[in-house]
Amino acid sequence: MAETGRTGTAAIDESLVIARPRGGRNIFSKEWILFILFVGPNLFLFSLFSYWPMIENVRLSTQRWDLLSPVRLPVGLDNFEYLWQNSTFHKVLWNTLYFTVAAVGISLALGLLVALLLNQRLRWRNGARAVVFAPFMLSGAAIGIVWAYIFDPRFGFLAEMLGWFSIRSPDWLNRPEWAMPAIIIVYIWKNLGFTTVIFLAGLQGIPQDLYDAAKIDGANVFWRFRSVTLPMLSPIAFFLVVTSILSTFQSFDIISVMTDGGPVDSTNTLIYYVYEQGFVAFNAGRSAAAALVLFVLMMAITLVQLRYSESKVHYG
Amino acid sequence: MTTTKINRRSIVKGAAGAGAAAAIGSKASSVFSAPAVIQSGPLEVTYWTSFEGGANGDAQDELVKRFNESQSDIQINHEFQGSYEETAQALTAAVQGGSTPDMSLLSDVWWFKFYLSQLLQPLDDYIAAGNVDSADYVDSLWNEGVRQGAQYWVPFARSTPLFYYNADALNEAGLDASIFQNWDTIVENADALMVKDGDQTTQFAFGHPNAASYIAWLFQGVIWQFNGEYSDPDFTINIDEDAGIEAGNFYRDSVENGWAGATEDHVADFNTGLFASIMASTGSMGGIRENATFEWATAFLPEKYTFGCCTGGSGLSILASADDANKEAAFEFIKFSTSVESTSYWAQQSGYMPVRKSAIDSEEMQAFYDENPNARTAVDQLPQTEPQDSARVFIPNGDQIIGGGLEQVTVSGADAADAFAEVAGILEEEAQPILEQLEALEG
Repeated sequence: MAETGRTGTAAIDESLVIARPRGGRNIFSKEWILFILFVGPNLFLFSLFSYWPMIENVRLSTQRWDLLSPVRLPVGLDNFEYLWQNSTFHKVLWNTLYFTVAAVGISLALGLLVALLLNQRLRWRNGARAVVFAPFMLSGAAIGIVWAYIFDPRFGFLAEMLGWFSIRSPDWLNRPEWAMPAIIIVYIWKNLGFTTVIFLAGLQGIPQDLYDAAKIDGANVFWRFRSVTLPMLSPIAFFLVVTSILSTFQSFDIISVMTDGGPVDSTNTLIYYVYEQGFVAFNAGRSAAAALVLFVLMMAITLVQLRYSESKVHYG
Repeated sequence: MTTTKINRRSIVKGAAGAGAAAAIGSKASSVFSAPAVIQSGPLEVTYWTSFEGGANGDAQDELVKRFNESQSDIQINHEFQGSYEETAQALTAAVQGGSTPDMSLLSDVWWFKFYLSQLLQPLDDYIAAGNVDSADYVDSLWNEGVRQGAQYWVPFARSTPLFYYNADALNEAGLDASIFQNWDTIVENADALMVKDGDQTTQFAFGHPNAASYIAWLFQGVIWQFNGEYSDPDFTINIDEDAGIEAGNFYRDSVENGWAGATEDHVADFNTGLFASIMASTGSMGGIRENATFEWATAFLPEKYTFGCCTGGSGLSILASADDANKEAAFEFIKFSTSVESTSYWAQQSGYMPVRKSAIDSEEMQAFYDENPNARTAVDQLPQTEPQDSARVFIPNGDQIIGGGLEQVTVSGADAADAFAEVAGILEEEAQPILEQLEALEG
């Protein structure tokens, strides 16, 4: 993957060098016009819908504004100071970490497991793949409503199932200690299809010769998995870790529909807090400050992962 | 009772024309002969509502349909925006986007926010021009929408908390409804109202909602019953005084001692029999009537040291940004929706209070109350209700701030002294910008 990328970049650089007119840069040169034509529209749209709102968000994070009043009061870093000292915000950060680690960790592990299963030559394999992938295509809001019924401690399907084993259903959505596990279960159920399909693609890309060679060397199933499958899957796993973390960070629909961040803020994650401060409490400044914290965290995670991937991830 | 057709020109012509109303019971006014702006088709007015589906949504649809069919000059397009909170959010976004509706339903805790930003139209000219008999509106409900002598918010779907109980469960326990008159007798008899399956409670004596389902509204009456208050009218926060803490810890103990539960949708859990009694809005009555599978009845809120019950619900406001013709047309709809006939119909279908005194006294409503004594309880309780404390209705998000504290008490078993001290701190901080805005606006 990366090697292809590198060669690609090199090729472009070369062509640019060759094509660059002698005697300095001319902004009316063909390449520049082409560049503007190709990149311009995208850059314009990005600027309008991504960069400008981001800059505006930074500005808003230094103001106090209720979204309605014509006056926006500059308050410096007050909003950040508020977040720094606010116990709810600390809880929100903890919830975000809890949710992200559990949701990403479990959906990756389960996804790999299901992908290994579906990679076998089984009957109805294609049907099973479609079934596993289906929840990913559904809207989070709709899923949330259905699962709220499933979790009902008295009439829910899950309570019924637990009843078969004489286990009493917890009051999932009304207890602070159970609400987050409930959200995590739903999130995993929804996203398992995605991780499975990506892992499956990765598994099918591993050349059979490697397994044959390992067999000749006397490796059993475990060692073939440990020494061939896992390293060969590392770029896929890396890709999934990055995309899953970024998507859990932004996971809003299920929480909003199922718990509204409650009970007692137990499912209030950063993205929900941004919404809540902005559109429930009408503290646009605080909401923007929290959004900036979210942005910095996501940026940091991406950078750390990029650095890590350079040294550890094996690209086939 | 006459129904007068609206002359389209009167709508376009001017304020006086609003008198030629479709409003039932009003007198026919003069018809203008002067030609006005020629329009093709009826004038379309956008109305944002929080009612859709169920007893309340059907009744809202019916009112709009009746209005549209009663005349041919105005077409009300009502658009559902979600809960009261979501409607306020949508309206805020619309203000930013510059595409506001002409009129919106706004709840008790939201209209004031839009008033502060001067986004609502004072309605006094329309009230005068439309010969609206404001003295016939229930005084307390009407006056809640008045600021500096001007009317900004007309009561429509107004409610109060009401005590609902499962009469079958009460009979099975061998008790009578008099136990619900006081919290002390409820606590004494709570065990008899509980049903257990092993160590799992399948029927609690009482049920609390969560913050999103307005626990702070229902607790408003309770804190008064304990001789406390959220705040005084000048925004001095008193929720963390001794009386408030006692009331809060009463809530905590109700759950800790096992006789009350706290769930996300306590009305649904009442309907399915999990809670033998609840406090809920009178506006929930239509839904309970449709869904409860047992005999149920209503009572006044219980007392502690005294009686306490607040008003609530929503009213109608016109956006200052609307065109003049649309404002007039929108007011015609407000007048129609709160007419004696409409408010009677609405009250019977939904459980919200009739907002007109003559509607309450009318033969039709009295006959309805004879048939539905549960609805009569709400009207009988109405004279004893009072507007809510400023901390919940005027501080933005005050409802959710107090609700969050109450969730800590009921769900996490926190000491009300700690939870309410934190709530008081937040409320005091959040009140500051409002005080500044009020000072600038009202002096």
